[in-house]
Amino acid sequence: MIGRWLGVAVSVCFLTGLFSHFQQVTPGWLVIPSRPASLYRVTQGLHVLSGIVSVPLLLAKLWTVYPKLFAKLPWPPSRKALGAVLERASILVLVSALALELFIGFLNTLQWYPWPFPFKETHYALAWIIVGSLLLHLAVKLPLITANWRRTPADRTPVPRPADSLPPAITGLSRRGLFRTVAGAGALVGIASIGQSVPTLGPIAVLAPRKPNIGPQGLPVNRTAKDAGIQVKDDWRLTIKGPSELSYSLDQLRALPQSRSDLPIACVEGWSQGARWEGIRIHDLLKLCGAPAGSRLRVVSMEKGGFYATSELPPQFAEDPLTLLALRLNGTELDLDHGFPARLIAPNRPGVLQTKWVHRLEVLS
Amino acid sequence: MIRKGLGALGIGFGLWGLRLLLQALSLDALIRLPLWLGGAVLVDDFLLIPLTLAAGWLLTNWSTRPDHHRTVTTIRTTLLYCGLTTLIAIPLLIRQGKGVNPTVLSRDYLRDWLLLEATIVAVGVLVTVLQRRRLTFSRSRASSGDIGGR
Repeated sequence: MIGRWLGVAVSVCFLTGLFSHFQQVTPGWLVIPSRPASLYRVTQGLHVLSGIVSVPLLLAKLWTVYPKLFAKLPWPPSRKALGAVLERASILVLVSALALELFIGFLNTLQWYPWPFPFKETHYALAWIIVGSLLLHLAVKLPLITANWRRTPADRTPVPRPADSLPPAITGLSRRGLFRTVAGAGALVGIASIGQSVPTLGPIAVLAPRKPNIGPQGLPVNRTAKDAGIQVKDDWRLTIKGPSELSYSLDQLRALPQSRSDLPIACVEGWSQGARWEGIRIHDLLKLCGAPAGSRLRVVSMEKGGFYATSELPPQFAEDPLTLLALRLNGTELDLDHGFPARLIAPNRPGVLQTKWVHRLEVLS
Repeated sequence: MIRKGLGALGIGFGLWGLRLLLQALSLDALIRLPLWLGGAVLVDDFLLIPLTLAAGWLLTNWSTRPDHHRTVTTIRTTLLYCGLTTLIAIPLLIRQGKGVNPTVLSRDYLRDWLLLEATIVAVGVLVTVLQRRRLTFSRSRASSGDIGGR
């Protein structure tokens, strides 16, 4: 039962993580829609939530099967013994990878990286290893699982306790009591952390690294202008390179037709918050420079170097009427830390791709 | 058939993950990663789980004394929830005030952690008191001959 819950949590975490990975490294065959606008906010919130909830589930699972850790391997060597050794090895891979994955994932939400390997690449690769060893574990246990499902309700009462799990004499816990306690633990850590993605629960998010409504203009920041080495000069201009090349000063941009979008900033670290953005529709800018329908767009920041100094907008995002080159946030001019003078804001995108301090737009095709 | 398919898919995914690691990590990182993986298992299997088992064993022993078994479930759950929330709070407490910018880790985590533990303990105590009161009530009814109208 706890294994099943953990399986569900790990699956949700894996699939939402895969979605986030594909948002940032989109393979050619995949078209990510720009709607629903809050999709990424929900999936990434779920990613971090399912990871945190997996902590008590993993500990509970390890706890219930603890005696198996000390079970003797079959002797003398035989095919069966070899199978048992391989099974134990696959479980070692599963447990070590999952425990480390949850640990580094949680620390990443604090933006703390005390380990000697790159976070993003390791987190992604370990995810495949976890799902692989989980599938292998399921394959090994399949006969037990199907036997359990084929049992009729009459077979199930009273529930026979498998000989290799902890007896009630040590735990003092009934099966049902254990499930209740573990479900409560999952709910507790979930409620104490979900507030970083659901601002109404923000005040009680005591286990979350982010607090809603904190920061310039009431919105948190991941990368400040100082960290990015940004200094905006008075003669700042936006250049658009398309079929015709355009250049605008900030005042000229303000004079163009302005639109409003209510869109969330949804970060890969799981926190998110809705905000009101005002600026010029990217779609309108594309039209002004004579870009054909279905154009891709490269958005270039004043930030020099680094993975997030530029981002690409696929056609469906560039054409979405919600996608703006934003000049204002929550009723006032953008704060420097939020990307002054102009930043990109598009629906259903991770925060790292909402490029700040934009100074050039390049039509790609 | 399904079993073999699942197993093959699992091995395939695992090898794909391994390939990604070999591609993305430097030799130095590849040597150190297994140490961290081993460390994760050691912390789980030889620290956290034995700690829980020891606490559970002590509690179960204590609960064999007269009347203690009635509150043991609540005490165990309270201890467990305090331990778990503390485990998750440890990194937040260590990094308190060290966020990369003022909007990261902006809470007073020491205060919040103490409040959270106090709340869990308070709920635990409340449940215990209610249980005892219900128990005393049903006992007094039983001793007075009133056993629910039967």
